[in-house]
Amino acid sequence: MASVRRKKGENLLVRYLILGGWALFCLVPVLWFLSIGLRPRTEIITPQPIYWPTFSLDAWHMIWEDWPMWQYLRNSVLAILGSVLIDLVLAIPAAYALARYEFRGRDDIAFYILSTRMMAPAIVAIPIFFLFRNLGLLDTIWALMLVYAAINLSFVTWIIRSYMLDIPKELEDAARTDGASDLRILWEIIIPAILPGIITAAVIAMIFAINEFLFTLLIASTPDAYTMSMALANFTGGSDGVIYNAIALVAFLAFLPVFLVVVAIQKHLSRGLTMGAVKG
Amino acid sequence: MARIELQNVEKRWGAVVGVRDVDLDIADEELVVFLGPSGCGKTTTMRMIAGLEDPSEGEIRMDGEVMNEVDARDRDVAMVFQGYALYPNMTIYENIRFPLRMRDVPKADQDRLIREAAAMVELEDYLDRKPGALSGGQRQRAALARAIVRKPQVFLMDEPLSNLDAKLRQAMRVQIKHLQRQLRITTVYVTHDQIEAMTLADRIVVMAGGSIQQIGTPDQIYRDPANTFVAGFIGSPPMNLIEGRVEGGTFSAPGISVPGLSHAEGRAVTLGVRPEDCHVAEGAAHLTGHVYGIEPTGDMTYLTVKAGDKLIEVKADRDFRADLDTPQGVTFDMDRLYLFAGESGERIR
Amino acid sequence: MTDTPLRDVGPAAAAGPASQIRRRRSRRMKALFPYLLVAPAVIYLLGITLYPGIYAIIQSFHAVKFGPWQPVGFDNYVRLMGDYQFWGALWNTFVIGSISLTLQCVLALILAFYAYRDPWVQGWRIVFLVPMLFMPSAVAFIYKLSFLDARVFSDLLQRIGLIDGNLAIQSSVWGSRALLILADVWQWTPFLFIIFVAALQGQDEEVEEAARLDGASWFSIFWNISLPLMKPVIAVALILRGIDITTMFTNVFIITKGGPAFGTETISYFIYRTGFKFFNFGYASAASVVMLILTIIIAQVVVKRAFVSARN
Repeated sequence: MASVRRKKGENLLVRYLILGGWALFCLVPVLWFLSIGLRPRTEIITPQPIYWPTFSLDAWHMIWEDWPMWQYLRNSVLAILGSVLIDLVLAIPAAYALARYEFRGRDDIAFYILSTRMMAPAIVAIPIFFLFRNLGLLDTIWALMLVYAAINLSFVTWIIRSYMLDIPKELEDAARTDGASDLRILWEIIIPAILPGIITAAVIAMIFAINEFLFTLLIASTPDAYTMSMALANFTGGSDGVIYNAIALVAFLAFLPVFLVVVAIQKHLSRGLTMGAVKG
Repeated sequence: MARIELQNVEKRWGAVVGVRDVDLDIADEELVVFLGPSGCGKTTTMRMIAGLEDPSEGEIRMDGEVMNEVDARDRDVAMVFQGYALYPNMTIYENIRFPLRMRDVPKADQDRLIREAAAMVELEDYLDRKPGALSGGQRQRAALARAIVRKPQVFLMDEPLSNLDAKLRQAMRVQIKHLQRQLRITTVYVTHDQIEAMTLADRIVVMAGGSIQQIGTPDQIYRDPANTFVAGFIGSPPMNLIEGRVEGGTFSAPGISVPGLSHAEGRAVTLGVRPEDCHVAEGAAHLTGHVYGIEPTGDMTYLTVKAGDKLIEVKADRDFRADLDTPQGVTFDMDRLYLFAGESGERIR
Repeated sequence: MTDTPLRDVGPAAAAGPASQIRRRRSRRMKALFPYLLVAPAVIYLLGITLYPGIYAIIQSFHAVKFGPWQPVGFDNYVRLMGDYQFWGALWNTFVIGSISLTLQCVLALILAFYAYRDPWVQGWRIVFLVPMLFMPSAVAFIYKLSFLDARVFSDLLQRIGLIDGNLAIQSSVWGSRALLILADVWQWTPFLFIIFVAALQGQDEEVEEAARLDGASWFSIFWNISLPLMKPVIAVALILRGIDITTMFTNVFIITKGGPAFGTETISYFIYRTGFKFFNFGYASAASVVMLILTIIIAQVVVKRAFVSARN
């Protein structure tokens, strides 16, 4: 671990000024978000910004009473969990093959999977829009699920593969001589052993799915398929203009569970974010 | 419970040859040790017997049945690994149960078999623990229990003791041999440690560079090494090997002169003599040099003499002492000299 | 998931070699197995890359408005090459992306360097992570509110007496670009920070200690030892971040709408606007194809190498 001893030539004052300064830069806007979420609408856009607003639960009431927030939430949760599930079902066998078998074209396939991550959503947006339109899936959470799964599949595969590479080969050899088939080894030995990696991959996929905007914008055009992020974008409330306090409050409410989950997997985060290139 | 035959077995990875032309017959209930330095092909040969590698050439048979195409999981072999390979997410009990579950042993029998196996390796009190909560020796025993629980036809052990400290290793060696005799299961044991090989084996297979150098009982291997490799690999410290020539019945090398030889007249040879067959000489000697090192161990004294640029190991009496760099003579036990051909290293005498 | 596909009918007996049923799996089956495992994922990905790619290529040779497709040959591409808005979008993407990425990288390196051996490094990590975990669309709205609609920034500067009168961010190209960059830096510097801290913590302390005994200063240790060792990690992290920055859409869509005077229109927004605002799908597809080709080239040249070297 980090040594506490002061290193010669390194000024502790400078260190804490820099780290503390950045911490303020991170947190002050967050407090500002919160203050917007908890103020009345009349104090949002004013000739002079109001720094000490009156406390109000206007936004809270509006979210739950004027908007079908539960439906948006349900759509988000279903689309995101469904997409993560699709990813795991597809990625785990693929990662296993890429991590453990020797076969022609293996490295090319691994790289192809990685390279889909580099594709800008805008490039494929038009064909995918038409594809879903032709399939009659526009404006459904099924379409969102499929798109989120596609966006995250490369990430998830690479993360899981990296964790699988760390498992000693001996373990599989032992299971094989003990009489287990390949798929049973995967299911009973490998998956339990890399559970932290799988969870990390799932959490990161979940965050990216929550963040996804462009496809959601194109696919979800009515509240039937609105997710939280779309609902935000549509808190423009017609003649009322953008309803910022509701946006801020929803953002905050969505942030809390994500924050807790991420803190729980903190140790694995750096490895997950680099698709396994860094071992945290 | 099974006889294992290897016939012309070869393993190649592209142009790299891992194992070449191995012919071997392992009798039922026999304990055979594959001995050799790392990279000699011993582990690969064992893995081919296990079915974890496919031979590129040749046949592997168990009880006469060709095994090449049979999956590892169907060969009814149990393997113990260097790193133990215990399943980290399962308790010791579940670890031992795993092979039984995979083979659809009736639930009713499972518990009894597990407890029997655990008792054999004195692990009854640790069944609820996860592998991470056990010491190295306990993990080793758990791995053994997992191997013996289903009474396989063949045991394969891949350097099972090399992660243990010296004391524990000796105790485990005894236990493994005892278990093997008790269960009467054909066993192949891979090691690079010649002491393990000598103490455990019914027969030793010495391997180097992918091929078998010699097959024999420990006594045969020790007394009649087939070539310089086997001679130099077995024994601790290993046999002294001195390159020189035989002229007029006398072997000579710098600082060394051994008369009275009736073999290999006029040829370049390697003379071999074990440290225990070398004796400290007062007067005339086969070898004269200087004391290079002296290591008393209590029960004996290892003496290293430098003759020419050659270092000769001598097992001397425990009371022997000498100062460094003083002149020292050594005589060889003439009945126990070995001669190897200079070029090929094959044994002449 | 079960193991049924490979399971044989006969139960293999545990004891008694006589009852042993030995399954023989053909070599062909063995060789095929890994392909079967990767196939579903690869097919899925082909569905969202190859299919749209081909679709876009075909569409790019047509004029597609609401009616049927009219083949127009290379017209879309010819027009694209002469379209100053397209080139402008490329330029904007490059300018905004490179400034933002450089800033994030430098900041993350400095922060990581000071944080990684601090006793409270875990705490710093959690605090710095916070911005990254907000929904980007919400962040964009709040930035829009604070800098454009409610003019908080401008107000603060006036209060401390740095400027007189309102700051016109909205009507200034560089002001708007700076705002996009600021939002991106605020939200995504932690991404790089987390990775860099892990890389620094993973480095062998003995090397650093040896260098210190050799008399190297902390800065020269960082510059000559830690940083070169981190190179592959930095490359991977920058590529991943770079991909997201060059495909930036959300913030442009919400904060600036590409304005003023197309000064913040990124390539993603250009494609979106051409396709979904003006319904000029053929033309938008041509732009997509050009981007696709650029992506493939970059992936082959840069990314492959970075990921291979990071793994070793």
